[in-house]
Amino acid sequence: MGIPEIEDAGCLLCFGYNGADSHPIVARRIVRGKQKGMKIICADPRVTETARISDIHLQLKGGSNLALVNAMANVIWNEGLADTRFIEEHTKGFDEFLKVIEKYTPEYAEPITHIPADEIRRAARMYATTKPAMILYGMGVCQFTQAVDVVKGLANLALMTGNFGGPSMGIGPVRGQNNVQGACDMGALPNSYPGYQNVTVPEIREKFEKAWGVPLSDQVGCPITHVPHRILHEKDEKKRIHAYYIFGEDPAQSDPDLAEVREALDKCDFVVMQDIYMNKTGLYADVILPATAWGENEGIYTCADRGFQRVRKLIEPEGDMRPDWKIIADISTAMGYPMNYRNTEEIWNEMIDLCPSFTGATYEKIEKYGGVQWPCRDKSMEDRGTPYLHKDGIFATKDHKALFYGTDWHPPVELENDQYPMTLSTVREVGHYSVRTMTGNCRTLRNLEDEPGWVQMNTQDCEKMRLKKGELVKILSKRGYCITRCLPTDRVKPGATYMTYQWWIGACNELTTAKLDPISNTPEYKYCACRVEKIQDQEWAERHVRELYDDIRAQMGIDTGKGAEA
Amino acid sequence: MALKQVQTTCAYCGAGCQIMFTVDTDANKIVEAVPADGRTNAGTLCLKGHYGWDYLNDPQILTKRLRKPMIRKGGKKSPLVEVSWEEAISYVAERLGEIKEKYGPDSIMGTGSARGAGNEANYLMQKFMRACIGTNNVDHCARI
Repeated sequence: MGIPEIEDAGCLLCFGYNGADSHPIVARRIVRGKQKGMKIICADPRVTETARISDIHLQLKGGSNLALVNAMANVIWNEGLADTRFIEEHTKGFDEFLKVIEKYTPEYAEPITHIPADEIRRAARMYATTKPAMILYGMGVCQFTQAVDVVKGLANLALMTGNFGGPSMGIGPVRGQNNVQGACDMGALPNSYPGYQNVTVPEIREKFEKAWGVPLSDQVGCPITHVPHRILHEKDEKKRIHAYYIFGEDPAQSDPDLAEVREALDKCDFVVMQDIYMNKTGLYADVILPATAWGENEGIYTCADRGFQRVRKLIEPEGDMRPDWKIIADISTAMGYPMNYRNTEEIWNEMIDLCPSFTGATYEKIEKYGGVQWPCRDKSMEDRGTPYLHKDGIFATKDHKALFYGTDWHPPVELENDQYPMTLSTVREVGHYSVRTMTGNCRTLRNLEDEPGWVQMNTQDCEKMRLKKGELVKILSKRGYCITRCLPTDRVKPGATYMTYQWWIGACNELTTAKLDPISNTPEYKYCACRVEKIQDQEWAERHVRELYDDIRAQMGIDTGKGAEA
Repeated sequence: MALKQVQTTCAYCGAGCQIMFTVDTDANKIVEAVPADGRTNAGTLCLKGHYGWDYLNDPQILTKRLRKPMIRKGGKKSPLVEVSWEEAISYVAERLGEIKEKYGPDSIMGTGSARGAGNEANYLMQKFMRACIGTNNVDHCARI
């Protein structure tokens, strides 16, 4: 579905998605939907802004997503609210799915999810009987070791209620970063060429071999989240990662278990960093290649609803920076595989002719219409793309039928224990972005929040520990610790803590676990065991934080008046 | 002061908001950002859309803009030394070539970028890893 369709849904199930912080302009559509009479069910452990305007807030215990989703399916089936005609005509695998969800009665799910059985019933009824119903999900679904199963579980809900194939229905991930969708579309994935064409299918590989003029590997590549392990622990020399070419990412700040990431970058024979600002990863790079930034170059991004849109040059780069595509092409040419392109449009034209779903999305069309949502298969100006997928219940499978996929819930990997009695989940900051090298260098935005960030804790927990708002605390997990400020709030449940991941000093990824979902290889950023400790000497702590900040800024090349060096 | 107006897509989240910028081409500076009537944002912007472009001015708050290629000539932990693009490109090509020769293509990992670089650069990065290096070891930070 498209972002503009949100406000016209009859019912919105907003699952693990905090639009107000991560996508304020998408959240605006939710507010407008509410004004138009849309029912809102919000499944989130925190009282988010969406929860505040919801009809039903399912404030579930972190890590219990699939138990809740399966219980909603159980209610929909047992109360006769399923769309049996849609199931029969457009889907497969329903009987096997029923066997899985049979035991997930609301009473069974209640102790797992901490949601009263009748609330689950009320939510399932509202979702199943208010048409059209749309599901939006975010990182509160994806950043768990059981993530893909929950996405499929949400798709099951939409399938069994016939909520596919028309406007303002279906399920949609709201992509975090500006071009997550685009990086996937372009095949920056270990198992897929551009256009979601699998590297293990011989006919597809042959097509790309012919176009690129070289034999290609038929082995699925290494997921990014396996890299530290493949550097540190891989025994096979041919599989051990010896060189790491990092382009527009900062794993030494954004990846889980930072101590392990630092060790891996340190031990890797050759690390290349291509970026716009100095960052934590740069401290471990053997070579730094300065790229032009957004605003200094041309290209196309894909937004969360599959929309290709142009990015345009605003100003000339001041310095010896080069566009990313040019740097990559020059290295390739120097290694004996020539890449000669004059501009981004030439690259784009090569790409769309190799990807049937994108073939029709020419620069000309994107310019003329302001954007094109793929699939767009035909170059004629009449094919303007596809606002929503699976029209009329026709799915992108061989027999055009959708598949039910039921799995059992399992708990997160690292549970609370005597030593680490609380849980930590990482979340977004509204005014800052990702590793903060962009927003932290914007004078207006840096005034909104600064180091060392906050840990959100329930007010009862704070009272028990005699912690006041703004007090510096130490937060620890099995893997590491950091210092941050305490933010008492009733928006979070007792026993749970939340930290935003922008901060160098309050760096929550010192604590997070690198355990992964087995299919998506996404880390469990949303759940690990932690402990909060009071710091008695606050004066020392404040001084310590200021010193740490100065030291890191000096490492990043900022003149802090203390003889800093790059 | 010569002014021009340019519409572009916001650099931050996946909402894909359209912004109209006014640029002073003599000074090579952005003067103003106002919301444009994009399909998804319909004339609205959030804080980051309104104010998130100031990093292009390199105000030296948090980190320093990278402006010249650099190499640690003395190995790990040695200082970064500014070099020409020719030297940087041939050094990277040489080192990657040696590692590929010695350990094979699957010993090299490359990343795409879900941020500012855009689709064309991601296409080239995966093509470089697959066709030039010879491995499917390419991935980026975000996934479903």
